Amino acid sequence: MTTSQLDASQFTRDRHFETDIVIIGSGAGGGIAAEQLTQAGYKVLLLEEGAYYTRDNFVMEERWAYPNLYQEGAARKTRDKSIGILQGRTVGGSTTVNWTTSIRTPQPTLDYWQREFGLDFSNENDLTPFFEKAEQRLNIHQWPVPPNANNAKLQQGCEKLGWQYTVIKRNVNGCANLGYCGMGCPINAKQSMLVSTIPAALAQGATLISRLSVRKLHWQNDRITGVDAVPVDSHFQPRQDIHVSIVAKHYIVAAGAIGSPALLLRSKVPDPSGRLGKHTYLHPTVISGALFADDINGHSGAPQSIYSDQFVWPDTDNKPGYKLEVPPLHPVLMATKLIGTGAEHAALMQNFNQLQVVIALQRDGFHPQSQGGTVQLDQQQQPVLDYPISDYVWQGMREALLSMAELQFAAGAKQVLPIHHDAKLYNSWPEAKAAIAALPMEKLRQTVVSAHVMGGCNMSAEPTKGVVNQDGRHHQLKNLSVFDGSILPTSLGANPQLTIYALVWRNCHLLLNKFNTSVDSSR
Amino acid sequence: MDRRQFLISGIALGAAASLGVAGWHYSVQPNSDNRDWVLSAILPALLYDALPEDTTLAMAQLQRSKTAITDFIAFLPLSQQQELQQLFNLLAQRITELAFTGHFTTLAALSINQRLAILQQWRDSYLTTLQQAYHGLRELLYGAYYGQPEHWQPLAYTAPKFR
Repeated sequence: MTTSQLDASQFTRDRHFETDIVIIGSGAGGGIAAEQLTQAGYKVLLLEEGAYYTRDNFVMEERWAYPNLYQEGAARKTRDKSIGILQGRTVGGSTTVNWTTSIRTPQPTLDYWQREFGLDFSNENDLTPFFEKAEQRLNIHQWPVPPNANNAKLQQGCEKLGWQYTVIKRNVNGCANLGYCGMGCPINAKQSMLVSTIPAALAQGATLISRLSVRKLHWQNDRITGVDAVPVDSHFQPRQDIHVSIVAKHYIVAAGAIGSPALLLRSKVPDPSGRLGKHTYLHPTVISGALFADDINGHSGAPQSIYSDQFVWPDTDNKPGYKLEVPPLHPVLMATKLIGTGAEHAALMQNFNQLQVVIALQRDGFHPQSQGGTVQLDQQQQPVLDYPISDYVWQGMREALLSMAELQFAAGAKQVLPIHHDAKLYNSWPEAKAAIAALPMEKLRQTVVSAHVMGGCNMSAEPTKGVVNQDGRHHQLKNLSVFDGSILPTSLGANPQLTIYALVWRNCHLLLNKFNTSVDSSR
Repeated sequence: MDRRQFLISGIALGAAASLGVAGWHYSVQPNSDNRDWVLSAILPALLYDALPEDTTLAMAQLQRSKTAITDFIAFLPLSQQQELQQLFNLLAQRITELAFTGHFTTLAALSINQRLAILQQWRDSYLTTLQQAYHGLRELLYGAYYGQPEHWQPLAYTAPKFR
């Protein structure tokens, strides 16, 4: 362990730090920013609420990974408990535990942002050079190994039905095809922030403080003046006994799309657009299980190597779109999501290795009846996301259950089980089709999950329509940037890590240009 | 009820379970007695068909799951821990009321199927809180049970080991 890495839970007295740039959060946004800004010669302090766990800690068991690497023990829920949210909380953020799928921002999403939010990512603002930089830095390539059986069934179903599918690009180097990406890569093959940009930044002089929860930004007039933080205890609960203060020239909030709005709400920063903490998107996801005669072994092999965009951009705006992917299958993930109790549940679990699972991610945020959720603060000032599901979104979910069942039967499934608490194993596509059409699409009956949290500090050309500008700079506070998935004005219709890498890389580049051309006004 | 079912359904996972219908304490404060009591009532029912034939092994698996639940709860945000405790208090009360109306005098006398029926009632209740209780407990309890490598034999699954 070097002196550039501090564990706040070891602090025995109040501490004060001064730096050029403080970055709050070490995920996709904070990780990229730490390397870029350190390389440019600035003194960078990188703060992370989670712990600094590395490959030697990653034991490939959910019982260790979920409480130690995920927000709320991977049991984070929306306010009414109707949506479960998987989100990382560790050095590297969600990049340490994601499933490595790397997709450039879809053009129709960028077009929508231009129409609705005045954001122009064409010509000199084109993101292409930054996608290329991120792809090179993180070794993002199309996965050359044949898909595991779980993904292969998605591919085969698409082939049978004439549906579009794509072989996924992954940020890995020397991947052993283990399948445990969600519990932290035990061989450092996944090119997460944990093994790429963060060690590079530390080697060049940045300082990382882990197990530190930032509670408040102080501000005066149009500038942030300091940060209040506290260490967390062994269960990641904020402590009261020790206080940490930090003063910087520029402040970067990168605490994720729930954490960043929560910090800005706690700090009561100016919010003239009224959009802070609003319009939080989840890619709300429904699940379809299928039993095959042959072994699927969904725990083994690259978790995601095939996706289908057959339904993500329907011809009419009146239908929500959804993306088809598969998840890795591990005992806790399966046991908690499979329906039923007693003998029914035990019998499903005994088919663990024959179970194939498809997920459908709803592209939320592109319709008046799909305006996302709201980040609120509980009594301890911790975030809670309220996300009501509209009839429009439920309709998309029913269509997704139908598509997934049709696909699984086309791929040769013996039986299909939509993950809905009133569903059962269906023996044929016609039987499933009739049953799904009659399922009540209601919260706490239809299981809904999310692994992508976006929005809440959305970017916009005009200060009336967002929290930050196109470059991630806060519309009102001059020395504040937000560099993470919270700046997305809608969901993406694609897994978000590569979009965040490219946007933040671009925004660092612009921030450095500003630093160089002005003596102090922007710092 | 056969002997195995009787033994497993009567397992006392905490000191309070032996108190039977008198086990419920009204409180919004953390009260581990109510939590133990509810877990003693529900865990054997949710897991009965997943447990090994050997009663001693089955009891050890239940105890291991209960320990895992207690360990995990500490990682939840404080507001969720409080909600969960209020839920355990409420559920302890509901089970106690059912016990009085159902004329059984100890928890052990409530069969696995009767307990699963109580869970189904919560699932289909018009009260959102009870629906949330069903889903919350299901996830918490199944997550704790299937998180343990000792419980994976019926799944024909082992996690790879590197070190």
